[in-house]
Amino acid sequence: MNRRWASLLAYLVAIPVAIAFVFPYAWMFSGAFRRTRDVLSDPLRLWPEQFDLSFLADIGRIGGVPLSSYFLNSVLFTLGATVVGTVAAALGAYALVRRPDLPGFRLIRSGFMLTVMYPYMLLVIPVYIVMHTLGLLGSALGIVLFLSLGPLQFFLFEQFFRAIPKEVIEAATIDGASEFQVLFRIVLPMAMPVTATVSLIAFLLNWAQWFPVLVISRGPETYTLPVALLSLNTELGASFQGIMALAVITTLPPAIVFLIAQKRVMQGMAQGAVKG
Amino acid sequence: MTLARVRAEGIFYLLVLPFAALTILFGLWPIILSVQVSFTASATALSPNPTWVGFANYATILSDELFLASLWRTLAYTVMAVTLNLAFALGAAMLLDGTLLKRGNMVFRLVLFLPVVTPDVAGYVVWRWLFDHSFGAVNAALDLLGLPAFGGLTTVQTATFAILIAELWHHAGFYMIIFLANLAIRDPALEEAAKMDGAGAWACFRHVILPQLRPAIVINLVYATIQFLKTFTVVVVMTKGGPAESTTFVSYLAYQYFDQARYGEATAMASVLFAIVIALSLLAYRLGERGRT
Repeated sequence: MNRRWASLLAYLVAIPVAIAFVFPYAWMFSGAFRRTRDVLSDPLRLWPEQFDLSFLADIGRIGGVPLSSYFLNSVLFTLGATVVGTVAAALGAYALVRRPDLPGFRLIRSGFMLTVMYPYMLLVIPVYIVMHTLGLLGSALGIVLFLSLGPLQFFLFEQFFRAIPKEVIEAATIDGASEFQVLFRIVLPMAMPVTATVSLIAFLLNWAQWFPVLVISRGPETYTLPVALLSLNTELGASFQGIMALAVITTLPPAIVFLIAQKRVMQGMAQGAVKG
Repeated sequence: MTLARVRAEGIFYLLVLPFAALTILFGLWPIILSVQVSFTASATALSPNPTWVGFANYATILSDELFLASLWRTLAYTVMAVTLNLAFALGAAMLLDGTLLKRGNMVFRLVLFLPVVTPDVAGYVVWRWLFDHSFGAVNAALDLLGLPAFGGLTTVQTATFAILIAELWHHAGFYMIIFLANLAIRDPALEEAAKMDGAGAWACFRHVILPQLRPAIVINLVYATIQFLKTFTVVVVMTKGGPAESTTFVSYLAYQYFDQARYGEATAMASVLFAIVIALSLLAYRLGERGRT
């Protein structure tokens, strides 16, 4: 009997908290379809009086650039940085785990750890200079390369490679396999699940990035959805409906990816953090 | 050295090359530049021949009231945010780990974690409007419940609290899954033994479960401390540092100085914040290590 009361109490706590966590999403969705004056007269209402589609005109062009351009940038930069980052982290982590004794390898890892600790936002001033020096300012390549480096990606691979028993690799080497064969025939096939997890997490993290994109960009042509949302939100006289609609478009792709692969994402993030 | 060995080792250098290049180009080089700029006069900082001024920028910011105030504000905010987030995350993890919330357990987990993978700009934009006095649902809801209105982002007394709520919403789910992962690998036999000895629920939590959660607590403490010392996006989106500088944290102040072309001072602030981040992370690791032995 006592247990049932405890359970009831737990639900009485958990349900309001869950509602508070979901409410912003519901309010954002309904705000996209409700006319601004309707929101002003009844802010709490979630079901739209009518499905008003005027946001399509409000955000069709932002800062002189069509919405499709922001969306395309988001997709391309995110995918590009995910592929580059996953490959670089996988190969790098493998080399550093297999031969930590090679000259310079310890230094590379410490250098990476230092980068991870540095306040990301404050890296921006010098990154601007670096991009300028490399001639990558305002380029898609500059944005993709900068976004691709991530701690969680590296730690997940490092942890995975460390857990591979040495005997597995030694046995293959004794059978006369070259290092390349060991990597491509034995290690990488084993690493498929962790590669999938890393790619998913990298996609989610890269999609959300905004500050580096803003700094490396020269104009709205290379902005992604979050950057467009930020500039729309600071624009004077921007319509509330348009802002909510753009927030929905920014939120939806990662939310869908997460809901499809929830277990993998949550486990992967917990594991990657435990290593760090 | 034989040719075979050169080839065998060369492969590893080849493999590490993309990772090393990215780390050096977009990590170490900017950090070195940042430190370098902090020792030069702002007006010449970006020119090929900057004027070296030694520690002048550091001296300037350490006597800059704005910086000192923002530094204390950042530290106080970090303490509040870390405490609030970890307490909430631990509470949520304890509730979800047990059998009390059997039905819908996964739904609760998803709901609390979804904001973590929601782009922070989008989440904070929505919260900014939720707190708005005429558009906002927060005050409408308080009114409905017969509670007094919440000042939200417009008053000095409430703005910090408002961004704490938005940040809790965005971050707590992450700390929760770390606690949940740790709870899943604890030894259930210890709790059974404690119950046999007649320990109550609180005593069991305090003396049996909590000590086993030490790894998760240390990890979360390090992550959350680094996270909140760097608080930036929420300020840019929701408050722009106001009202009356009440949410101007170090990252944001440095960004403002950068915007005003005060590069030397901005990068000096970056170095100070970096030093604090490193010192606190090392301290947290030490505490964690000592607990293990």
